[in-house]
Amino acid sequence: MNTEFVPSLIHFFGMMLLIVSFWMLAAPQIGASIRAYATHSFLLALITAFIALTNHVEHLLIPAFLTLALKTILIPQVFFRIIRRLGIRKEIESYVNIPFTLLLAVLLVFVSFYVTGEGKVLKSVSFGEFIPLAVSTIFFGMLMMTTRKKAINQVLGLLLIENGLFLMGVTITFGMPLLVEIGVFFDALVGVVIMGVFVFKIRGAFESIDADDMTVLKG
Amino acid sequence: MTIDHILWTPLAFAFLCLVPCPKRTTRLTFMAGAAVSAIGAWFFVFGNFSGPRIFAFKESLMMDALSAVFVLLIPSVGLLSAIYAGGYLFKEGETGIPPAKLRRYAFFFHLFLFTMLLTVLSNNLGVMWIAIEGTTLASSFLVNVDDKKSSIEAAWKYLILCSVGIALALFGVILVYYSAVEQVASGETGLLLNWSFLLAKAKYLDPQIIRLAFIFVLVGYGTKAGLAPFHAWLPDAHSQAPAPVSALLSGVLLSCATFGILRFHILTKVATDSAFSDTLLIVFGVLSVAIAVPFIMEQADYKRLLAYSSVEHMGLAAVGLGFGGTLGLYGAILHIVNHAFTKSLLFFTSGHLYYFFHSKEISKVKGIFRKNAFLGTIFFFGVLAIAGMPPFSVFFSEFCILSAGFLAKQFIPCAILLVLLALIFTGFLRQANRMTFGETEKTEMPAKSFLMDSVLVVGMIVIVVMGFYIPRPLQHLLQEASRVAGGVVS
Repeated sequence: MNTEFVPSLIHFFGMMLLIVSFWMLAAPQIGASIRAYATHSFLLALITAFIALTNHVEHLLIPAFLTLALKTILIPQVFFRIIRRLGIRKEIESYVNIPFTLLLAVLLVFVSFYVTGEGKVLKSVSFGEFIPLAVSTIFFGMLMMTTRKKAINQVLGLLLIENGLFLMGVTITFGMPLLVEIGVFFDALVGVVIMGVFVFKIRGAFESIDADDMTVLKG
Repeated sequence: MTIDHILWTPLAFAFLCLVPCPKRTTRLTFMAGAAVSAIGAWFFVFGNFSGPRIFAFKESLMMDALSAVFVLLIPSVGLLSAIYAGGYLFKEGETGIPPAKLRRYAFFFHLFLFTMLLTVLSNNLGVMWIAIEGTTLASSFLVNVDDKKSSIEAAWKYLILCSVGIALALFGVILVYYSAVEQVASGETGLLLNWSFLLAKAKYLDPQIIRLAFIFVLVGYGTKAGLAPFHAWLPDAHSQAPAPVSALLSGVLLSCATFGILRFHILTKVATDSAFSDTLLIVFGVLSVAIAVPFIMEQADYKRLLAYSSVEHMGLAAVGLGFGGTLGLYGAILHIVNHAFTKSLLFFTSGHLYYFFHSKEISKVKGIFRKNAFLGTIFFFGVLAIAGMPPFSVFFSEFCILSAGFLAKQFIPCAILLVLLALIFTGFLRQANRMTFGETEKTEMPAKSFLMDSVLVVGMIVIVVMGFYIPRPLQHLLQEASRVAGGVVS
């Protein structure tokens, strides 16, 4: 392969990754948010696969494939089933309106570039710009979890954090040992299924899936 | 018999419990499973376990003296809890829980025990992370058994908060792995996350990265261990779960998370050769004790009262680990053991209390002693024990921790702790006084099942005896464990 072409392609994917995470935050509907998550995971799988191929760390291809299979296809499907069965078509409700969320997100990107800047603490094994991207993905996930009202959005935020951590692992260490990586995927999948069950239970008991309706327990 | 047998037993019984059969049979499988796990673990630890470390599964699993203590603790509390649950949840009749749901409950109960055992037996820090996340997933269904609004809310909070916390801990694990990849010869990728390997090579790890990793792990596993200010899920989950599950959550789950922190603490201490992690543990520990004080003094719900007391005791254990020294580490580990038995006993009595008074509110509970002298006695002495009254075991370990603090010349945290502990003591005594004594209409209540009462008696005997006398093999194990916690590479 062309030595110039592949790195610039990976840079391009990195840019797309950031744009998609903005899309996820800005998406007006839950469906769009899930599609954004699927795209995010798809790009993550591509980036991982390219890093694996350019650096000849073939064992990294397995996590890349798992990201594709689980996070791009299976988990979004689970989500779509949940929202179909719950019959949600309403807009995403947020404590903070979307323009302001995006403003915060831009700030978070600056912060993540600042704190990780130029290998100050962490040195990457390849493509250093993914370190701040990973950190900002983690921040975006947290932003999503704290600002969204629907229980289901909180789960999406959690998954976004997970994606960020995965990218971080890939960038600084070529991913964790395979056994651990597979275990983490398994936990994520089981976690989504269990949280899905609980979203239904919340719906049944509270007649809504707004997390801020849950205020029975205090003190 | 090897280490993995200890793990297979609860896993096998988890699936056995799923077999569709009458309630009676499920109940038998459920209780037998816990008994077999416990007896197997005791025999293994006191029989086969001799060397400093035993490995299994390509060194991914390891048992050293430290994990041996927890391997004893988890199934023992699990057994008490299973016997209690056997009488509590499996009752026949119309008010009983449907059999399918009970089977699911039994399944998750054993799966929960399995994940906790895996946590303490894993040498690979990544596997440990997976296991701790597994404990959250397995126990979320146990927290919500009755599908009431409040239980669902508690379970949801528990799931979300702990998952986020654990995600941060994963970052810490990645950082440790990163520092190992950076500094240690590559080619050993399978070993690089192994705690025993990392500890041996700790001198080569980048101290700055390890410090950063410890912060993430402390926040992450600290959420699970109930350290303030990340404890928001804890009182909800503990108060909404059925009594036997609360006992497990408080007694051993929190201890498992503390165990995770401890493994990283040992590593950090050797790698950075500084008191960095000690200081953090002391600060968060004292904060946890301090935050518990107002909630214990002014609590309206007796299960939440016990839950906040767990925050306090996990804080104390963290402080003990932070003070360090042989005495501090020994005290902290002993405190974890003592707290596990005392607090699970109290949560079991809370199950009795709910049965007698049909309320979790302290104001509705008056004159336990007049209603049922047996329960009143157990409850009152249990409260005295958890508040740190001398003849009981918790006093002894608290004493060790505080003495270690004075030995380490940490006078300020010690002084603060003494004041806080005194406040908690009076708070507990005031609450328990109102509940135990006082007037109530003398209505004869049929006693709960013999099995459940005997669990209370056994728990009481354990905490009284442990206050005076710790059996020799156990004492030896605890001392070895505190040596491991001190970072001795043997």
